[in-house]
Amino acid sequence: MTAAAAPALKMQRRSLYPGWFYLPAAVVYSVLFLAPTFASLYFSLTRWTLFDATFIGFDNFAQFFREPFLIQGLVNTVIYAVVTSGLKVVIGMALAVMLTSQIMARGYLRSVIFFPVLVSTIGVGMTFTVLMHPTQGMINQALALFGIAGPGWLVDPKLALFSVALVDVWKGVGLATVIYIAGLVAIPKDYYEAARIDGATRLQNFIYVTLPLSRPATATVITLSFIGGLRTFDLIWAMTKGGPGFASDTVASVIYKQYQAGFYGLSTAGNVVLFILIAVLVVPLTMFLNRKQGHE
Amino acid sequence: MAGLELKNIQKTYGKVEVIKGVDLDIEDGEFVVFVGPSGCGKSTLLRMIAGLEDITGGELYIGDKLCNDVEPRDRSIAMVFQSYALYPHMTVYDNVGFGLKLAKTPKDVRDQKIREAARILKMEHLLDRKPGQLSGGQRQRVAIGRAIVRQPEVFLFDEPLSNLDAALRVDTRMEIAKLHADLGATMIYVTHDQVEAMTLADKIVVLDAGVVQQVGSPIELYQRPQNRFVAGFIGSPKMNFVEVAVEAIGPDAITVGSKDVASLRVPAATAGISVGDTLTLGIRPHDLSPANTGAIVGRVAIVERLGNETIVNIELASGTAWLAVLDGDQALRIGESLALAAEPAKAILFDAAGKALLPTPA
Ligand SMILES: Nc1ncnc2c1ncn2[C@@H]1O[C@H](COP(=O)(O)OP(=O)(O)OP(=O)(O)O)[C@@H](O)[C@H]1O
Ligand SMILES: [Mg+2]
Repeated sequence: MTAAAAPALKMQRRSLYPGWFYLPAAVVYSVLFLAPTFASLYFSLTRWTLFDATFIGFDNFAQFFREPFLIQGLVNTVIYAVVTSGLKVVIGMALAVMLTSQIMARGYLRSVIFFPVLVSTIGVGMTFTVLMHPTQGMINQALALFGIAGPGWLVDPKLALFSVALVDVWKGVGLATVIYIAGLVAIPKDYYEAARIDGATRLQNFIYVTLPLSRPATATVITLSFIGGLRTFDLIWAMTKGGPGFASDTVASVIYKQYQAGFYGLSTAGNVVLFILIAVLVVPLTMFLNRKQGHE
Repeated sequence: MAGLELKNIQKTYGKVEVIKGVDLDIEDGEFVVFVGPSGCGKSTLLRMIAGLEDITGGELYIGDKLCNDVEPRDRSIAMVFQSYALYPHMTVYDNVGFGLKLAKTPKDVRDQKIREAARILKMEHLLDRKPGQLSGGQRQRVAIGRAIVRQPEVFLFDEPLSNLDAALRVDTRMEIAKLHADLGATMIYVTHDQVEAMTLADKIVVLDAGVVQQVGSPIELYQRPQNRFVAGFIGSPKMNFVEVAVEAIGPDAITVGSKDVASLRVPAATAGISVGDTLTLGIRPHDLSPANTGAIVGRVAIVERLGNETIVNIELASGTAWLAVLDGDQALRIGESLALAAEPAKAILFDAAGKALLPTPA
């Protein structure tokens, strides 16, 4: 290598911006994220009453895992995350395909579908609690008109978790749809035209062109809604408070109940467990979703 | 095998007329090139033939079949897109075989056809790759391969070379010409590059603003353009134009002159022309040569010396800029006066409407 080539290489590696540009971000990140994370790691190892904290090692974790309904909470959390993200992918994709085709009032329908995303979760939860009331709720009254005896949406232990999940999907599918619309309109028209000349039907167009080429959007939707589902708390709390019994408890609601009862160290330990659970499930998932595809 | 017939084909988008009644006969096995400036409607016309764009008016026959409302897959055509439109998630093998797969061709037949196409295009070693791992030229090949396996009667190309660099463009151009000779299929090719048009075409269709200006063989268009647009569009560098006045009308010739051009007797059709009329004189840069007694005198503005020829930009007395391509290396100084002689037989006169006053061929 010649002497001239070495500086040229160095030039290439040099970043566009000076190093200290990252300082503001670093400060914000440390104050708002790193410090609380390490603090909660520490407090999860203490008996903590807000005024003083005594170091007790892993006792909190041991106790957290002895919680009688914790296992059900963990299972519920995973079921909830899988159901909500799965439905958001399917419904979001279907709506996006519909809203990118030539239909009337497209722009209006797009805003209608996105609207629930903007409404407060607690408000949505309270509204649907009323709508889903087993006898006086509008949903079951409407079903009764057709002679169908509606189920006890939120009072049936087998159903409560899924009812909340459905409301979550209703509220969140607008975001998934918007992400899919962005993904679909980015697919070049030429692909569809080439497929048309090759004689593809609409279904084949969808299977061979739309589906594979919208994979980045699918990855985003799955990741976002899966993490959201694992952390879910507000909707559950607004609608069932984990009930009936512990039938719809998730890790987050179990943690909150311990916090309410004044076990701060214990609930912090629960948060650490939730954090690890999310990391363990989501990291491999995103690696799988974003694996290299030959192109790019 | 199939020829095509276009009868008064029209296309409007809303109120905008994009194709204004095109009549065209394309024979079986012919290589036809659509040329014209950007936005003249070349792609639109091609896409109507492909069936990707509805035909607003007129009739399109492929073979003997009226195809106005026939689905693209049933028109026995294949199209190569400017963007190539290769599916990024499929290997080259699957890309080439995609149409066959949709047509439910048995796997072994499909395999054989894909390998045959790969052999013709010398890309057997690329079959397992994805489009992202190919160079521009290789992608181009795959796109052509995808067209070949369908064994269409008509190939449609929309500016297939415009994403390639200059050297590759020349190679690929020759390969397409060879492919045409080997397959003997009808090919319709859109380009705005008139060199591509001249080298590839059996027949060139010059379009401007949705109207066919002239149809003919490359040499016909070069030597006998029917109007000023075609004369200016075909040939590189562009033909020079200047306004002249009619001085005398002789048998089968018109003598013209102006302050730029001393009297020049140009063979031309004389009907309807009278002395004193204003015409446009067109002379190609290659038909000018330095001569002390030359009819055209100007000042040298720019000199480009390429070794084997010299391209000179001259400014005529009226301020009109002309180009001359002179043989060999000419040492000319900027600002000096240069007299050029024009071969009258190669000059063309145009009337006020831009129509060429071509002499009746000998
Ligand atoms: N969908 C459309 N709606 C309205 N006008 C259109 C549409 N598509 C094309 N046009 C117009 O039709 C005309 C012809 O377009 P076309 O794409 O056929 O041009 P072209 O000759 O292929 O040009 P280029 O060399 O730039 O590709 C243009 O003036 C364009 O603005
Ligand atoms: Mg075009």
